[in-house]
Amino acid sequence: MSDKTKPDQAASGQGDAPGEQVPEWLGNRLRRMFTEVMDEPVPDEFKALLKQLEDKERGA
Amino acid sequence: MDAHDPFLDQVTALLPALRAFGRSLCGDPARADDLVQDTVLKAWTNRNQFQSGSNLKAWLFTILRNCYYSELRHRKFEVEDPEGVCAAQLSVAPVHDARLHLRDLNRALQELPHDQREALVLVCATGLSYEEAADVCQVAVGTIKSRIARARDRLIELLGEDAAHVTDQISGDKAQGNGGPRATARAKAS
Repeated sequence: MSDKTKPDQAASGQGDAPGEQVPEWLGNRLRRMFTEVMDEPVPDEFKALLKQLEDKERGA
Repeated sequence: MDAHDPFLDQVTALLPALRAFGRSLCGDPARADDLVQDTVLKAWTNRNQFQSGSNLKAWLFTILRNCYYSELRHRKFEVEDPEGVCAAQLSVAPVHDARLHLRDLNRALQELPHDQREALVLVCATGLSYEEAADVCQVAVGTIKSRIARARDRLIELLGEDAAHVTDQISGDKAQGNGGPRATARAKAS
């Protein structure tokens, strides 16, 4: 992966929406792909993990 | 969920976004969840480094991304998913047209170079700004933009010109939410 930055870094990016770069149909589809996963219930293993951290914090 | 630590509460609220980001990076649900677990542990260990008031989502995405790349380096010599088995697991839902197209998009995403994929996903799917995405990836905003432009061109090539005209309708039962029928109407009109 190259971390080199191009001269075009001067572009502020301020104010322009990603919609200007990506066609609407593609943007919609990308967002939907993402929200489909977000809408899934979070597996219990995460609740267990967080509970564990919480308990540790309490010095249990 | 009875986590009352404010930091953990916020992390909990961001788990769905982390899972989605992880999955779009690696294309594999189980591996993505492993990444999220690592991310939560790292975030917890380093929670003192997080400056309250700054963007926790971007901070967590940065950690997840770092976990992903360090894992990639370790996996270098392992066999890549030759038959696209992982990619195929992305959607095990009943065959809906719209679902199939989403799966095509997932597959196509996995064809992109990592840097292009993450830039596109961060800005166009997660809702981070260009500036936040640039921070997460530790590059300039202009670099993010040019990566997105390349990702877009490649995706359109992979999905085919027709992709723009395919109706994204999710039949009947799932039509509500996410822009739903109106988005469909707009897609048809364009």
